[in-house]
Amino acid sequence: MSPRERMLAALKGEPVDRVPVFSANQTATYSQMDVTGAEWPEAHMKAEPMAKLAAGAYTVLGFDAVRVPYCQTIESEALGATVKYAGREGVPRIDVHPFHVGDSPDYPEDFLSLGRVPELLEAVRLLKAWHGDDVVVMGNVVGPFSIVANLVGITDALKASFKKPDSLIGLLELAEKAGTALAHALVKAGADVIVIEDMMASIDVISPPIYLNLAQPYEKKQLQNFPAGIPTIMHICGKVNSIGKMIAETGTTAISVEPSVDAPALVTDLATFGRPIPLIGGVDAVTTLFSGTPDDVRADVRKALADGYAMIAPGCSVPPTTTTENLLAMVAAAVEAAR
Amino acid sequence: MTETELLAAAKAAVVAADEDAAKAVAEEAVALGLDPVRVIAEGFTPGMRQVGDLFERGTMFLPEVILASEAMVAAVSILEAHLPAEQKEKKAGVMVLGTIEGDVHDIGKGIVATLMRVYGFEVHDLGRDVALTSYVEKAKEVNATIIGSSALMTTTMVGQKTLEKMLKQAGIREQVKTMVGGAVVTQYWADKIGADAYAENAQEAVQKALELAQG
Repeated sequence: MSPRERMLAALKGEPVDRVPVFSANQTATYSQMDVTGAEWPEAHMKAEPMAKLAAGAYTVLGFDAVRVPYCQTIESEALGATVKYAGREGVPRIDVHPFHVGDSPDYPEDFLSLGRVPELLEAVRLLKAWHGDDVVVMGNVVGPFSIVANLVGITDALKASFKKPDSLIGLLELAEKAGTALAHALVKAGADVIVIEDMMASIDVISPPIYLNLAQPYEKKQLQNFPAGIPTIMHICGKVNSIGKMIAETGTTAISVEPSVDAPALVTDLATFGRPIPLIGGVDAVTTLFSGTPDDVRADVRKALADGYAMIAPGCSVPPTTTTENLLAMVAAAVEAAR
Repeated sequence: MTETELLAAAKAAVVAADEDAAKAVAEEAVALGLDPVRVIAEGFTPGMRQVGDLFERGTMFLPEVILASEAMVAAVSILEAHLPAEQKEKKAGVMVLGTIEGDVHDIGKGIVATLMRVYGFEVHDLGRDVALTSYVEKAKEVNATIIGSSALMTTTMVGQKTLEKMLKQAGIREQVKTMVGGAVVTQYWADKIGADAYAENAQEAVQKALELAQG
Protein backbone atom coordinates (compact mmCIF):
# COMPACT_ATOMS: atom_id res chain seq x y z
CA MET A 1 0.00 0.00 0.00
CA SER A 2 1.16 3.56 -0.59
CA PRO A 3 1.26 5.81 2.47
CA ARG A 4 -1.81 7.57 1.10
CA GLU A 5 -3.78 4.36 0.63
CA ARG A 6 -2.71 3.15 4.06
CA MET A 7 -3.81 6.35 5.83
CA LEU A 8 -7.15 6.58 4.06
CA ALA A 9 -7.92 2.90 4.62
CA ALA A 10 -7.02 3.10 8.31
CA LEU A 11 -9.25 6.16 8.75
CA LYS A 12 -12.15 4.13 7.35
CA GLY A 13 -11.32 1.24 9.65
CA GLU A 14 -10.38 -0.95 6.67
CA PRO A 15 -7.47 -3.46 6.73
CA VAL A 16 -3.95 -2.10 6.18
CA ASP A 17 -0.58 -3.72 5.37
CA ARG A 18 0.86 -2.04 8.45
CA VAL A 19 -0.34 0.50 10.96
CA PRO A 20 0.06 4.07 9.61
CA VAL A 21 2.49 6.44 11.32
CA PHE A 22 2.11 10.20 11.25
CA SER A 23 1.45 13.14 13.54
CA ALA A 24 -1.91 14.82 13.96
CA ASN A 25 -0.02 17.76 15.48
CA GLN A 26 2.93 19.79 14.26
CA THR A 27 5.75 17.72 12.73
CA ALA A 28 8.70 20.10 12.26
CA THR A 29 12.06 19.54 13.96
CA TYR A 30 15.34 21.45 13.79
CA SER A 31 16.88 18.42 12.04
CA GLN A 32 14.24 18.57 9.31
CA MET A 33 14.90 22.31 8.99
CA ASP A 34 18.57 21.46 8.33
CA VAL A 35 17.69 18.84 5.72
CA THR A 36 14.87 20.66 3.90
CA GLY A 37 16.47 24.10 4.08
CA ALA A 38 13.16 25.57 5.22
CA GLU A 39 13.09 27.06 8.71
CA TRP A 40 10.93 28.84 11.22
CA PRO A 41 9.93 31.64 11.39
CA GLU A 42 9.67 31.82 7.55
CA ALA A 43 7.91 28.44 7.49
CA HIS A 44 5.20 29.94 9.71
CA MET A 45 4.68 32.85 7.35
CA LYS A 46 5.28 31.92 3.73
CA ALA A 47 3.75 29.15 1.64
CA GLU A 48 6.88 27.72 0.07
CA PRO A 49 9.03 27.23 3.19
CA MET A 50 5.88 26.12 5.04
CA ALA A 51 5.32 23.37 2.47
CA LYS A 52 9.00 22.42 2.16
CA LEU A 53 9.39 21.90 5.90
CA ALA A 54 6.09 20.02 6.15
CA ALA A 55 7.16 17.72 3.31
CA GLY A 56 10.00 16.57 5.59
CA ALA A 57 7.49 14.45 7.49
CA TYR A 58 7.33 12.30 4.35
CA THR A 59 10.71 12.79 2.65
CA VAL A 60 12.85 12.70 5.81
CA LEU A 61 10.77 10.71 8.32
CA GLY A 62 8.76 8.44 6.04
CA PHE A 63 5.47 9.34 7.73
CA ASP A 64 2.23 8.48 5.92
CA ALA A 65 0.89 12.03 6.04
CA VAL A 66 2.19 15.58 5.86
CA ARG A 67 0.52 18.45 7.62
CA VAL A 68 0.43 22.24 7.86
CA PRO A 69 0.67 24.59 9.71
CA TYR A 70 2.94 24.42 12.81
CA CYS A 71 1.13 26.79 15.12
CA GLN A 72 -2.39 27.41 16.44
CA THR A 73 -2.61 31.11 15.69
CA ILE A 74 -3.57 31.39 12.00
CA GLU A 75 -7.35 31.76 12.46
CA SER A 76 -6.94 34.02 15.50
CA GLU A 77 -4.52 36.30 13.65
CA ALA A 78 -6.91 36.57 10.71
CA LEU A 79 -9.64 37.48 13.22
CA GLY A 80 -7.59 40.34 14.61
CA ALA A 81 -5.09 38.96 17.12
CA THR A 82 -1.51 40.20 17.04
CA VAL A 83 1.04 37.42 16.79
CA LYS A 84 4.58 37.35 18.14
CA TYR A 85 7.15 35.15 16.44
CA ALA A 86 9.86 33.20 18.23
CA GLY A 87 12.61 32.97 15.61
CA ARG A 88 13.87 29.63 14.35
CA GLU A 89 13.31 27.99 17.72
CA GLY A 90 9.65 28.40 18.47
CA VAL A 91 6.07 28.75 17.42
CA PRO A 92 4.16 32.02 17.12
CA ARG A 93 1.95 32.95 20.02
CA ILE A 94 -0.81 35.45 20.59
CA ASP A 95 0.54 38.78 21.76
CA VAL A 96 -2.59 40.94 21.83
CA HIS A 97 -6.05 39.41 22.28
CA PRO A 98 -8.43 41.31 20.01
CA PHE A 99 -11.71 40.75 21.86
CA HIS A 100 -13.24 40.59 25.31
CA VAL A 101 -15.60 38.15 26.96
CA GLY A 102 -19.14 39.19 26.01
CA ASP A 103 -18.21 40.44 22.52
CA SER A 104 -20.12 39.19 19.48
CA PRO A 105 -17.92 40.25 16.57
CA ASP A 106 -19.12 39.92 12.98
CA TYR A 107 -17.49 37.25 10.87
CA PRO A 108 -15.22 39.01 8.35
CA GLU A 109 -16.45 37.97 4.90
CA ASP A 110 -12.88 38.27 3.56
CA PHE A 111 -11.54 35.92 6.27
CA LEU A 112 -9.83 33.64 3.75
CA SER A 113 -7.73 36.51 2.44
CA LEU A 114 -6.63 37.75 5.89
CA GLY A 115 -3.31 37.25 7.68
CA ARG A 116 -1.48 34.05 6.79
CA VAL A 117 -4.57 32.16 5.59
CA PRO A 118 -3.64 32.59 1.88
CA GLU A 119 -0.10 31.32 2.59
CA LEU A 120 -1.47 28.29 4.42
CA LEU A 121 -3.79 27.47 1.52
CA GLU A 122 -0.96 27.87 -0.99
CA ALA A 123 1.23 25.57 1.12
CA VAL A 124 -1.46 22.89 0.86
CA ARG A 125 -1.58 23.37 -2.94
CA LEU A 126 2.20 22.93 -3.11
CA LEU A 127 2.21 19.83 -0.91
CA LYS A 128 -0.60 18.34 -2.97
CA ALA A 129 1.33 19.02 -6.20
CA TRP A 130 4.62 17.67 -4.88
CA HIS A 131 3.52 14.61 -2.89
CA GLY A 132 -0.24 14.36 -3.17
CA ASP A 133 -0.22 11.13 -5.16
CA ASP A 134 1.89 9.34 -2.57
CA VAL A 135 0.97 10.72 0.80
CA VAL A 136 -2.02 12.18 2.62
CA VAL A 137 -2.01 15.97 2.89
CA MET A 138 -3.60 17.21 6.10
CA GLY A 139 -4.77 20.72 6.87
CA ASN A 140 -5.30 21.82 10.43
CA VAL A 141 -8.13 23.88 11.84
CA VAL A 142 -8.12 25.06 15.45
CA GLY A 143 -11.26 24.07 17.37
CA PRO A 144 -13.80 26.79 18.23
CA PHE A 145 -13.23 26.79 22.00
CA SER A 146 -9.46 27.03 21.52
CA ILE A 147 -9.82 29.93 19.06
CA VAL A 148 -11.96 31.75 21.63
CA ALA A 149 -9.24 31.20 24.25
CA ASN A 150 -6.82 32.88 21.81
CA LEU A 151 -9.23 35.73 21.08
CA VAL A 152 -9.92 36.79 24.69
CA GLY A 153 -7.03 35.19 26.58
CA ILE A 154 -7.12 31.78 28.20
CA THR A 155 -7.64 32.91 31.77
CA ASP A 156 -10.59 35.13 30.89
CA ALA A 157 -12.08 32.43 28.68
CA LEU A 158 -11.82 29.84 31.46
CA LYS A 159 -13.30 32.09 34.12
CA ALA A 160 -16.19 32.95 31.81
CA SER A 161 -16.71 29.29 30.93
CA PHE A 162 -17.53 28.66 34.59
CA LYS A 163 -19.17 31.91 35.68
CA LYS A 164 -21.05 33.21 32.63
CA PRO A 165 -20.85 30.68 29.80
CA ASP A 166 -23.39 32.57 27.68
CA SER A 167 -20.90 35.43 27.34
CA LEU A 168 -18.74 33.23 25.12
CA ILE A 169 -21.42 32.21 22.63
CA GLY A 170 -20.96 35.09 20.17
CA LEU A 171 -17.24 34.39 20.03
CA LEU A 172 -17.73 30.63 19.70
CA GLU A 173 -20.06 31.20 16.75
CA LEU A 174 -17.46 33.41 15.09
CA ALA A 175 -14.71 30.82 15.71
CA GLU A 176 -16.86 28.00 14.34
CA LYS A 177 -17.59 29.94 11.15
CA ALA A 178 -13.94 30.83 10.65
CA GLY A 179 -12.75 27.24 11.16
CA THR A 180 -15.42 25.85 8.89
CA ALA A 181 -14.60 28.34 6.12
CA LEU A 182 -10.94 27.43 6.49
CA ALA A 183 -11.69 23.70 6.27
CA HIS A 184 -13.60 24.20 3.01
CA ALA A 185 -10.73 26.24 1.56
CA LEU A 186 -8.14 23.68 2.71
CA VAL A 187 -10.05 20.86 1.02
CA LYS A 188 -10.42 22.95 -2.15
CA ALA A 189 -6.65 23.53 -2.06
CA GLY A 190 -6.07 19.77 -1.94
CA ALA A 191 -6.20 18.63 1.68
CA ASP A 192 -7.28 14.97 2.00
CA VAL A 193 -7.92 15.08 5.73
CA ILE A 194 -8.77 17.87 8.18
CA VAL A 195 -7.43 17.81 11.72
CA ILE A 196 -9.26 19.80 14.37
CA GLU A 197 -6.89 20.67 17.20
CA ASP A 198 -9.00 21.69 20.18
CA MET A 199 -6.30 21.69 22.82
CA MET A 200 -8.12 24.02 25.20
CA ALA A 201 -11.19 21.78 25.15
CA SER A 202 -9.10 19.31 27.16
CA ILE A 203 -10.40 18.19 30.51
CA ASP A 204 -6.97 19.12 31.86
CA VAL A 205 -8.33 22.61 31.28
CA ILE A 206 -12.15 22.52 31.46
CA SER A 207 -14.64 20.20 33.14
CA PRO A 208 -16.76 17.63 31.26
CA PRO A 209 -19.93 19.76 31.75
CA ILE A 210 -18.15 22.78 30.24
CA TYR A 211 -16.89 20.61 27.37
CA LEU A 212 -20.44 19.44 26.75
CA ASN A 213 -21.86 22.95 27.00
CA LEU A 214 -19.30 25.14 25.23
CA ALA A 215 -16.86 23.02 23.21
CA GLN A 216 -18.65 19.95 21.88
CA PRO A 217 -21.71 21.67 20.33
CA TYR A 218 -19.47 23.87 18.18
CA GLU A 219 -17.15 21.01 17.21
CA LYS A 220 -20.25 19.08 16.20
CA LYS A 221 -21.74 21.96 14.25
CA GLN A 222 -18.41 22.48 12.52
CA LEU A 223 -18.13 18.84 11.50
CA GLN A 224 -21.69 18.92 10.16
CA ASN A 225 -20.75 21.95 8.06
CA PHE A 226 -17.47 20.50 6.76
CA PRO A 227 -17.18 19.35 3.12
CA ALA A 228 -19.11 16.08 2.75
CA GLY A 229 -17.08 12.90 2.96
CA ILE A 230 -13.82 14.46 4.10
CA PRO A 231 -12.14 12.39 6.85
CA THR A 232 -11.53 14.29 10.07
CA ILE A 233 -9.32 13.81 13.10
CA MET A 234 -10.21 15.46 16.40
CA HIS A 235 -7.20 16.06 18.65
CA ILE A 236 -7.85 16.90 22.29
CA CYS A 237 -5.11 16.86 24.93
CA GLY A 238 -5.25 15.31 28.38
CA LYS A 239 -6.79 12.19 29.87
CA VAL A 240 -10.02 12.47 27.90
CA ASN A 241 -11.69 9.21 28.96
CA SER A 242 -14.53 11.02 30.73
CA ILE A 243 -15.43 12.91 27.52
CA GLY A 244 -14.42 10.20 25.03
CA LYS A 245 -17.98 9.37 23.99
CA MET A 246 -18.87 13.05 23.72
CA ILE A 247 -15.94 13.55 21.35
CA ALA A 248 -17.14 10.63 19.23
CA GLU A 249 -20.65 12.14 19.17
CA THR A 250 -19.28 15.13 17.26
CA GLY A 251 -19.12 12.81 14.27
CA THR A 252 -15.35 12.98 13.87
CA THR A 253 -13.86 10.17 11.77
CA ALA A 254 -11.00 9.49 14.19
CA ILE A 255 -9.73 10.71 17.57
CA SER A 256 -6.15 11.65 18.45
CA VAL A 257 -5.14 11.59 22.13
CA GLU A 258 -2.23 11.76 24.56
CA PRO A 259 -0.77 8.61 26.15
CA SER A 260 -2.19 9.70 29.52
CA VAL A 261 -5.50 8.34 28.22
CA ASP A 262 -6.62 4.86 29.29
CA ALA A 263 -6.58 3.63 25.69
CA PRO A 264 -8.18 0.17 26.13
CA ALA A 265 -11.09 1.77 28.02
CA LEU A 266 -11.52 4.43 25.35
CA VAL A 267 -11.38 1.84 22.55
CA THR A 268 -14.16 -0.06 24.34
CA ASP A 269 -16.25 3.12 24.56
CA LEU A 270 -15.68 3.92 20.89
CA ALA A 271 -16.69 0.40 19.87
CA THR A 272 -20.26 1.15 20.99
CA PHE A 273 -20.81 3.63 18.15
CA GLY A 274 -21.54 1.19 15.34
CA ARG A 275 -18.91 2.74 13.08
CA PRO A 276 -15.13 2.42 13.22
CA ILE A 277 -13.59 5.36 15.12
CA PRO A 278 -9.83 4.81 14.91
CA LEU A 279 -7.83 5.86 17.97
CA ILE A 280 -4.64 7.77 17.11
CA GLY A 281 -1.56 8.33 19.26
CA GLY A 282 0.50 6.16 21.59
CA VAL A 283 3.93 7.81 21.55
CA ASP A 284 4.68 10.20 24.40
CA ALA A 285 5.93 13.45 22.88
CA VAL A 286 7.93 14.61 25.89
CA THR A 287 9.21 11.62 27.86
CA THR A 288 9.78 9.46 24.80
CA LEU A 289 10.38 11.64 21.74
CA PHE A 290 12.11 14.53 23.51
CA SER A 291 14.00 12.69 26.28
CA GLY A 292 14.00 9.06 25.15
CA THR A 293 15.86 6.77 22.76
CA PRO A 294 14.74 4.88 19.64
CA ASP A 295 14.25 1.82 21.88
CA ASP A 296 11.89 3.82 24.09
CA VAL A 297 9.98 4.84 20.97
CA ARG A 298 9.69 1.22 19.85
CA ALA A 299 8.40 0.25 23.30
CA ASP A 300 5.74 2.99 23.13
CA VAL A 301 4.61 1.79 19.69
CA ARG A 302 4.38 -1.85 20.81
CA LYS A 303 2.35 -0.86 23.87
CA ALA A 304 0.12 1.39 21.77
CA LEU A 305 -0.68 -1.45 19.37
CA ALA A 306 -1.41 -3.80 22.27
CA ASP A 307 -3.68 -1.12 23.79
CA GLY A 308 -5.78 -0.85 20.63
CA TYR A 309 -4.48 2.26 18.88
CA ALA A 310 -5.32 1.97 15.18
CA MET A 311 -2.87 4.62 13.99
CA ILE A 312 0.48 5.56 15.54
CA ALA A 313 1.30 9.19 16.28
CA PRO A 314 2.83 11.36 18.99
CA GLY A 315 0.26 12.31 21.64
CA CYS A 316 1.04 15.98 21.15
CA SER A 317 3.11 18.29 18.93
CA VAL A 318 6.51 16.84 18.01
CA PRO A 319 9.09 18.70 20.14
CA PRO A 320 11.33 20.44 17.58
CA THR A 321 14.50 19.14 19.24
CA THR A 322 13.38 15.53 18.64
CA THR A 323 16.04 13.53 16.81
CA THR A 324 15.30 12.10 13.39
CA GLU A 325 16.34 8.68 14.81
CA ASN A 326 13.51 8.78 17.33
CA LEU A 327 10.96 9.67 14.65
CA LEU A 328 12.28 7.04 12.24
CA ALA A 329 11.92 4.49 15.05
CA MET A 330 8.15 5.12 15.06
CA VAL A 331 7.96 3.96 11.46
CA ALA A 332 10.45 1.11 11.99
CA ALA A 333 8.42 -0.20 14.93
CA ALA A 334 5.24 -0.15 12.83
CA VAL A 335 6.98 -2.10 10.07
CA GLU A 336 8.37 -4.60 12.61
CA ALA A 337 4.94 -5.07 14.16
CA ALA A 338 3.47 -6.06 10.78
CA ARG A 339 5.99 -8.85 10.24
CA MET B 1 -20.31 35.03 63.90
CA THR B 2 -17.94 33.22 66.23
CA GLU B 3 -14.30 32.81 65.25
CA THR B 4 -14.88 29.11 64.52
CA GLU B 5 -17.82 29.95 62.29
CA LEU B 6 -15.82 32.62 60.54
CA LEU B 7 -12.91 30.28 59.84
CA ALA B 8 -15.33 27.76 58.37
CA ALA B 9 -16.95 30.49 56.25
CA ALA B 10 -13.51 31.58 54.99
CA LYS B 11 -12.71 28.05 53.92
CA ALA B 12 -16.12 27.56 52.32
CA ALA B 13 -15.84 30.81 50.35
CA VAL B 14 -12.57 29.74 48.76
CA VAL B 15 -13.83 26.23 47.98
CA ALA B 16 -16.95 27.77 46.40
CA ALA B 17 -14.65 30.02 44.35
CA ASP B 18 -16.79 32.93 45.57
CA GLU B 19 -14.73 36.13 45.63
CA ASP B 20 -17.51 38.32 47.07
CA ALA B 21 -18.08 35.91 49.93
CA ALA B 22 -14.35 35.61 50.61
CA LYS B 23 -13.97 39.41 50.79
CA ALA B 24 -17.00 39.70 53.07
CA VAL B 25 -15.51 37.13 55.47
CA ALA B 26 -12.16 38.97 55.47
CA GLU B 27 -13.89 42.28 56.24
CA GLU B 28 -15.93 40.69 58.99
CA ALA B 29 -12.73 39.27 60.50
CA VAL B 30 -11.20 42.76 60.49
CA ALA B 31 -14.35 44.26 62.04
CA LEU B 32 -14.32 41.61 64.78
CA GLY B 33 -10.66 42.36 65.46
CA LEU B 34 -9.59 38.75 64.84
CA ASP B 35 -5.96 37.84 64.31
CA PRO B 36 -5.45 38.12 60.54
CA VAL B 37 -2.63 35.57 60.57
CA ARG B 38 -4.91 33.01 62.13
CA VAL B 39 -7.74 33.77 59.70
CA ILE B 40 -5.38 33.28 56.75
CA ALA B 41 -3.67 30.20 58.18
CA GLU B 42 -6.73 28.41 59.55
CA GLY B 43 -9.52 29.71 57.32
CA PHE B 44 -8.49 30.65 53.80
CA THR B 45 -5.41 28.45 53.49
CA PRO B 46 -7.21 25.17 54.31
CA GLY B 47 -9.80 26.26 51.72
CA MET B 48 -7.15 26.63 49.05
CA ARG B 49 -5.60 23.34 50.16
CA GLN B 50 -8.94 21.62 49.69
CA VAL B 51 -9.26 23.21 46.25
CA GLY B 52 -5.88 21.69 45.39
CA ASP B 53 -7.01 18.28 46.63
CA LEU B 54 -10.26 18.43 44.66
CA PHE B 55 -8.33 19.43 41.55
CA GLU B 56 -5.90 16.55 42.01
CA ARG B 57 -8.80 14.12 42.38
CA GLY B 58 -10.40 15.43 39.21
CA THR B 59 -13.55 16.66 40.94
CA MET B 60 -12.68 20.34 40.49
CA PHE B 61 -11.42 21.83 37.24
CA LEU B 62 -9.13 24.65 36.27
CA PRO B 63 -11.75 27.41 35.76
CA GLU B 64 -12.91 27.01 39.38
CA VAL B 65 -9.35 26.76 40.65
CA ILE B 66 -8.50 30.09 39.00
CA LEU B 67 -11.58 31.71 40.55
CA ALA B 68 -10.85 30.17 43.96
CA SER B 69 -7.31 31.45 43.75
CA GLU B 70 -8.55 34.95 42.93
CA ALA B 71 -11.02 34.80 45.83
CA MET B 72 -8.15 33.83 48.12
CA VAL B 73 -5.91 36.66 46.88
CA ALA B 74 -8.69 39.23 47.31
CA ALA B 75 -9.43 38.10 50.87
CA VAL B 76 -5.79 37.87 51.89
CA SER B 77 -5.01 41.35 50.60
CA ILE B 78 -7.76 42.76 52.86
CA LEU B 79 -6.30 40.93 55.85
CA GLU B 80 -2.69 41.76 55.01
CA ALA B 81 -3.32 45.45 55.59
CA HIS B 82 -4.04 44.54 59.22
CA LEU B 83 -1.06 42.32 59.86
CA PRO B 84 1.10 43.35 62.82
CA ALA B 85 4.39 44.92 61.67
CA GLU B 86 6.57 42.11 63.03
CA GLN B 87 4.48 39.58 61.08
CA LYS B 88 5.15 41.44 57.84
CA GLU B 89 8.89 41.11 58.47
CA LYS B 90 8.75 37.36 59.02
CA LYS B 91 8.98 35.62 55.70
CA ALA B 92 9.84 32.19 54.43
CA GLY B 93 11.87 33.52 51.53
CA VAL B 94 11.97 35.87 48.61
CA MET B 95 10.80 34.31 45.39
CA VAL B 96 11.02 35.49 41.80
CA LEU B 97 8.48 33.70 39.66
CA GLY B 98 7.58 33.73 35.99
CA THR B 99 6.58 31.79 32.90
CA ILE B 100 9.34 31.52 30.30
CA GLU B 101 9.29 33.76 27.24
CA GLY B 102 7.23 32.22 24.45
CA ASP B 103 4.65 30.41 26.55
CA VAL B 104 1.02 31.13 25.94
CA HIS B 105 -0.35 31.36 29.45
CA ASP B 106 0.62 31.38 33.10
CA ILE B 107 -2.44 30.02 34.86
CA GLY B 108 -0.55 27.38 36.83
CA LYS B 109 2.19 29.80 37.78
CA GLY B 110 -0.45 32.27 39.03
CA ILE B 111 -1.83 29.63 41.37
CA VAL B 112 1.69 28.83 42.59
CA ALA B 113 2.22 32.54 43.32
CA THR B 114 -0.99 32.66 45.37
CA LEU B 115 -0.04 29.64 47.45
CA MET B 116 3.52 30.84 47.98
CA ARG B 117 2.22 34.14 49.37
CA VAL B 118 -0.15 32.22 51.61
CA TYR B 119 2.79 30.29 53.02
CA GLY B 120 4.74 33.44 53.78
CA PHE B 121 6.96 33.95 50.76
CA GLU B 122 7.56 37.42 49.40
CA VAL B 123 6.66 36.76 45.78
CA HIS B 124 7.79 38.86 42.84
CA ASP B 125 5.62 37.57 40.04
CA LEU B 126 7.04 38.56 36.65
CA GLY B 127 3.98 37.21 34.86
CA ARG B 128 3.99 35.42 31.52
CA ASP B 129 6.29 35.65 28.52
CA VAL B 130 9.23 36.62 30.76
CA ALA B 131 12.60 37.31 29.11
CA LEU B 132 15.36 35.28 30.78
CA THR B 133 17.34 38.42 31.59
CA SER B 134 14.36 39.70 33.62
CA TYR B 135 14.61 36.76 36.04
CA VAL B 136 18.29 37.52 36.63
CA GLU B 137 17.82 41.26 37.03
CA LYS B 138 14.84 40.89 39.36
CA ALA B 139 16.62 38.26 41.46
CA LYS B 140 19.56 40.63 41.95
CA GLU B 141 17.31 43.59 42.70
CA VAL B 142 15.26 41.88 45.42
CA ASN B 143 17.93 39.50 46.74
CA ALA B 144 15.85 36.49 45.79
CA THR B 145 16.32 33.22 47.63
CA ILE B 146 14.32 31.16 45.11
CA ILE B 147 13.73 31.56 41.39
CA GLY B 148 10.79 29.61 39.98
CA SER B 149 10.17 29.21 36.26
CA SER B 150 7.34 27.51 34.48
CA ALA B 151 7.36 26.16 30.91
CA LEU B 152 4.45 24.70 28.97
CA MET B 153 6.17 23.67 25.76
CA THR B 154 9.39 21.89 24.90
CA THR B 155 10.41 24.98 22.91
CA THR B 156 10.21 27.17 26.02
CA MET B 157 11.46 24.50 28.42
CA VAL B 158 14.98 24.92 26.99
CA GLY B 159 14.83 28.47 28.40
CA GLN B 160 15.04 26.94 31.88
CA LYS B 161 18.36 25.39 30.94
CA THR B 162 19.65 28.71 29.59
CA LEU B 163 18.46 30.44 32.77
CA GLU B 164 20.67 28.13 34.87
CA LYS B 165 23.65 29.20 32.76
CA MET B 166 22.75 32.86 32.95
CA LEU B 167 22.49 32.74 36.74
CA LYS B 168 25.99 31.23 36.87
CA GLN B 169 27.34 33.88 34.51
CA ALA B 170 25.75 36.58 36.63
CA GLY B 171 27.52 35.09 39.65
CA ILE B 172 24.34 34.56 41.69
CA ARG B 173 23.62 30.87 41.12
CA GLU B 174 25.11 29.98 44.52
CA GLN B 175 22.89 32.46 46.33
CA VAL B 176 19.58 31.23 44.94
CA LYS B 177 17.71 27.96 44.65
CA THR B 178 15.98 27.24 41.36
CA MET B 179 12.64 25.53 40.91
CA VAL B 180 11.09 24.39 37.67
CA GLY B 181 7.58 23.31 36.75
CA GLY B 182 5.00 23.42 33.97
CA ALA B 183 3.12 21.05 31.70
CA VAL B 184 6.08 19.44 29.91
CA VAL B 185 8.63 19.65 32.73
CA THR B 186 9.71 16.51 34.60
CA GLN B 187 12.05 15.57 37.45
CA TYR B 188 14.34 14.13 34.78
CA TRP B 189 14.58 17.54 33.12
CA ALA B 190 15.20 19.30 36.45
CA ASP B 191 18.06 16.90 37.19
CA LYS B 192 19.44 17.24 33.69
CA ILE B 193 19.68 21.04 33.78
CA GLY B 194 20.75 21.21 37.42
CA ALA B 195 17.67 22.86 38.89
CA ASP B 196 17.33 22.47 42.67
CA ALA B 197 13.73 21.28 42.63
CA TYR B 198 10.87 20.20 40.41
CA ALA B 199 7.22 20.33 41.38
CA GLU B 200 4.37 18.71 39.56
CA ASN B 201 1.67 20.96 40.97
CA ALA B 202 1.16 24.07 43.09
CA GLN B 203 0.84 22.18 46.39
CA GLU B 204 4.07 20.33 45.77
CA ALA B 205 5.75 23.58 44.73
CA VAL B 206 5.01 25.03 48.18
CA GLN B 207 6.39 21.96 49.95
CA LYS B 208 9.54 21.99 47.87
CA ALA B 209 9.99 25.74 48.36
CA LEU B 210 9.64 25.37 52.12
CA GLU B 211 12.21 22.56 52.06
CA LEU B 212 14.59 24.68 49.99
CA ALA B 213 14.03 27.63 52.33
CA GLN B 214 15.12 25.51 55.30
CA GLY B 215 18.24 24.57 53.34
